[in-house]
Amino acid sequence: MNFKRSVLAGAVLFAASMVTAQAAEKVKVEYWSNSLSPKFDAVMKDLTAKFNASQTQVEAVWVDVGWDAFQARVVTAVASGKVPGLVNLPKPWMDDFAQKKMIVPITKEAASFKNVYTKGALADVTYNGQQYGLPWYQVTGVLFYNKDLFAKAGIKEAPKSFDQLLAAAKQVKEKTGVTGFAPKLQDGFSGWFLYDGLPLLKDNKAVFNSPAHVKLLEKFAAAYKDGSIPKDVFKMGFEEQIAAYNAGKIAMFAEGAHALKRTQTDSKKIYEATGVAGFPQGAGKTPFGGFLFLWSVPKGFKDVDAAVKLGQFLTNDESQLAFAKASSTFPSTNKALDDAYFQAGAKSADPVQQATAVAATHIKASRTLTISGLPDEAAMNKKLNDEVEAAVTGRKSAKEALDAAVAMWNEKLAAKK
Amino acid sequence: MKNSSSYTAVAYLFLAPALILMAIFTFWPVGYNTYLAFQDYAIADGTATWNDFAHFKYIYEEELFHSALKNSLLYLLVVPCIQLAALVIAKLVNNKLPGMTFFRATYYIPVITAISVAGVAWAFVYKYDGMLNGFLTWIGHALGMLQGEFTRVEIDWIGNPDIAIYSVMVFTFWKGLGYYMVLYLAGLQAIPAEVEEAAILDGANAWDRFWKITVPMVKPTILLCTLLSTIAAMKAFQEVIVLTKGQSDTYTALFYVYDQAFRNYNFGRAAAAGLVVTFFCMILAIIQFRFFGDKK
Repeated sequence: MNFKRSVLAGAVLFAASMVTAQAAEKVKVEYWSNSLSPKFDAVMKDLTAKFNASQTQVEAVWVDVGWDAFQARVVTAVASGKVPGLVNLPKPWMDDFAQKKMIVPITKEAASFKNVYTKGALADVTYNGQQYGLPWYQVTGVLFYNKDLFAKAGIKEAPKSFDQLLAAAKQVKEKTGVTGFAPKLQDGFSGWFLYDGLPLLKDNKAVFNSPAHVKLLEKFAAAYKDGSIPKDVFKMGFEEQIAAYNAGKIAMFAEGAHALKRTQTDSKKIYEATGVAGFPQGAGKTPFGGFLFLWSVPKGFKDVDAAVKLGQFLTNDESQLAFAKASSTFPSTNKALDDAYFQAGAKSADPVQQATAVAATHIKASRTLTISGLPDEAAMNKKLNDEVEAAVTGRKSAKEALDAAVAMWNEKLAAKK
Repeated sequence: MKNSSSYTAVAYLFLAPALILMAIFTFWPVGYNTYLAFQDYAIADGTATWNDFAHFKYIYEEELFHSALKNSLLYLLVVPCIQLAALVIAKLVNNKLPGMTFFRATYYIPVITAISVAGVAWAFVYKYDGMLNGFLTWIGHALGMLQGEFTRVEIDWIGNPDIAIYSVMVFTFWKGLGYYMVLYLAGLQAIPAEVEEAAILDGANAWDRFWKITVPMVKPTILLCTLLSTIAAMKAFQEVIVLTKGQSDTYTALFYVYDQAFRNYNFGRAAAAGLVVTFFCMILAIIQFRFFGDKK
């Protein structure tokens, strides 16, 4: 009797331990999205549930972290060793984290399915020849212009090149007195060099004081001087540009379609007069204003395969399409971009729908224009931006300014070795 | 009856909750920061290695840090202005007149306003086509100093590197004034009325009473406020990030610390720069104790 009892108890214990072992076998993959809650809770919860239903081995746990806290939280997580499986990074952060080895390369893990992504997106997630992320949603700059102001200035069609764009801006200023164009300069100037196909570095040396670089900067300085770009252009971010456009203070600006939604609600009249065109491609063969978000695996996460599996699901055609529809952004896979949804508005009279169609055609070529891997990024970018500001606002010649910045960059680059 | 050693023990017991919190959130971070300042700290694997003062050598030669430190020291100009103004205003609102509570509250509102909100509002004031230039244009026209109907005052308050830092200082002044006013007000109310009355009987005028009675009697408060505002000025960072993002020669020492830590992820170098700022704060504090402290 006693023996029987103990066998029974042993069997029960054994069974129980098997159950817990099986439950424990399910790998939990926490993944951190970047400032998507509460606006996109529905789609994120839906994606998580779908993934979990399809898996027996992996369980996804969605956590949203705000933009301001994101980098600090990732840094703390990596430093403490308690990391999530995936983190949602914008491309420039990915470069920084890869440089500091806070995320791991996933070239091998992603090799079998990487061709679903667009060429531009794949290039963006590559750092030093290794793939560090799975491309997710992206935006790209579309040119919005005020048709009334164009008509008054006698401009017949949207500019096709960057030079035409600056010429149009000048013409608007001369004929109507309204500032023509607000280029985005607040985030730095290196993006504009890259847009124009001009490299910043060559053989670990700064080379952005060539005649071509100087010429590009001089164009901005000239535009600043004749008033075709705003006097406070260096203080203008996303919000300020939209506000100025909505108030009829600028005739053109470049942003994603989501920006125009603000015009739609805040400034009906301007919205109705808004024309949409692709932002002219520079010699860099990409529009300005592209920005990619992606998923990376932080250093220290034990089951990289499980994390990549979740990442693959989040970035497949279907999931990307669902998210893009919910957020007015764009997917980064070729097939999802070809979806009829994005071209539906091509012939529409509504500027937001038009903008969506225009952007979708341009986005396959879109790159996030950023320079990375600098030894003292904060100080070097600051130097470049300060010198550029001095040149554009006319306190220095373009050549002097770029020479000074190049000298400082080369000093830092040489010290690195 | 308690003997003195159990009295001390009880005292420490009462101090313990605050001390423990301070140990965790102040002393430990300060200590660890000091440790990091002498190390190469790799976040990825959490290792720190001694580096022979490399960070200090680096920032010693770093032009950007020099100009940042210069800006932080320049920022100290705000200290005497804000102290004098706060004391004068405290004196004014210390009258028993109807409506004084309203003024006291009004001066205090900027202190409790979130700095991000205040920053957005002041960006509108300082904008190229903003309120301040609009106001100056109006004055200029009213006084006939501006020629032509459409001439406008166009000063780039926070964009011109020659004046931007002063504009940011004005913001700090506006934001902090009420805080020091309240401290001074408390100091003023501790002055017995008899002293002032006696001075009036002796024929002292308002000016004399302010300099010979009020100022000496609130000297401990002056020391405290000057110390606090000096440290706040050396630590100027939030006002810079909300108004100029460090552009236009407004880059301060703590902005450098922040940039090194959260844009370069070089926590060791950031710690070293932070330590240098602390060092300057301490020197300034010692000077101030010499000036305003009780000489015994």
